[in-house]
Amino acid sequence: MGTNLLDAELVKRVQAGDTGAYDILVQKYQHKVINLVGRFVSDHAECQDIAQDSFIKAFRAIHNFRGDSQFYTWLYRIAANTAKNYLASRARKSPGYTVDVDDAQHYEGESGLKEYSNPENLLLTDEIKTTIFNAIENLPDDLKSAITLRELDGLSYEEIAEVMDCPIGTVRSRIFRARDVIDKELRPLLE
Amino acid sequence: MTDLDDKLSFLLDDHPGENADAKLDELIGDINLQYRMRRYHMIGEVMRHELPRAIDTSFHSNVMARIRDENLQQSAGQTATETPARNASILSWITLKPFAGLAVAASVAMVTVALWQPLKQESGQNDNSLVSADQQKIQQLAKQQIQGGVVTASTKVQPLGMRWKVERETPGLQQKLNAYLVTHTEYSNSMQSLIPQARVAGFDSQQ
Repeated sequence: MGTNLLDAELVKRVQAGDTGAYDILVQKYQHKVINLVGRFVSDHAECQDIAQDSFIKAFRAIHNFRGDSQFYTWLYRIAANTAKNYLASRARKSPGYTVDVDDAQHYEGESGLKEYSNPENLLLTDEIKTTIFNAIENLPDDLKSAITLRELDGLSYEEIAEVMDCPIGTVRSRIFRARDVIDKELRPLLE
Repeated sequence: MTDLDDKLSFLLDDHPGENADAKLDELIGDINLQYRMRRYHMIGEVMRHELPRAIDTSFHSNVMARIRDENLQQSAGQTATETPARNASILSWITLKPFAGLAVAASVAMVTVALWQPLKQESGQNDNSLVSADQQKIQQLAKQQIQGGVVTASTKVQPLGMRWKVERETPGLQQKLNAYLVTHTEYSNSMQSLIPQARVAGFDSQQ
């Protein structure tokens, strides 16, 4: 079962009227959508608003989603169109370069020029990053390798098991233990 | 570390294992599990440099609040679509109400007209008796007025035409009678119930 099947199950629930399932999808993709919209709109507050609008539009249209494409591809396309429409309606200039919707999530762009109106959020984000990187650095090698291969390289459990030459169950356990150790450091920042 | 957290980790990596639906139910229904899920996602986002430079911890709750508001508005919209239908029925009643009133009034008028004809015929038959009764009353009244005054002349009521005929040689009585009739006629204009009497006691235009 791939990521898409989990998303598909959540989408199916949303289409059946389970709003809570959409909450999971929002939590899962919120930062990716914000990053994508950030490629088009530099203002932080506007970026947040457009990202919110994108999720609202996706929710309204989710009954028309037939699963022909991946949910996140569909969601990203809605977000990109919402951002473009916003720029057109405000008659503002786009960043001056063309970013394909499928590539936008990987594009770093001019993030250094973005405005962030909330210094607390900026500080919190920096703290989160520092905490997570420090926690990863302090992980035992087997846990560090497992979580890196999974999160950074995007390998499946089977592929990780092959790379690390261990059973899938062990991979599952190592990934979970790595997350749990990092989470213990991260949780106090977000509570 | 709990078995549930392990399952969550496995679920997020798209290995739901057995009872995937039950696990999703748990995730959707447990806010603490959702917090943990967000932190797990955040770990991956930080490692991939996908975390925005400034995260908004209330972002998803704002989105869901707007969705809930929209759902409420939709529900209200459905109620609103029902309300016009109710209003339409009320409007149709308001529109039809005057016609209903007219129909009732027309029915009453028809019944009145239908009943009026026999009554008119009956009253026509009893005209003479009524006139004679009225004449008796008038005679009594005239006698009382004559007794109150100095008039000694005889009065005569003509039975035909319901007209009073007072002899010209008794101007005092005539004046009193005329005054009475004028007053009576004025009352009869404002009081519908006196119309028959006014008709009976009509003022003699020849006087």
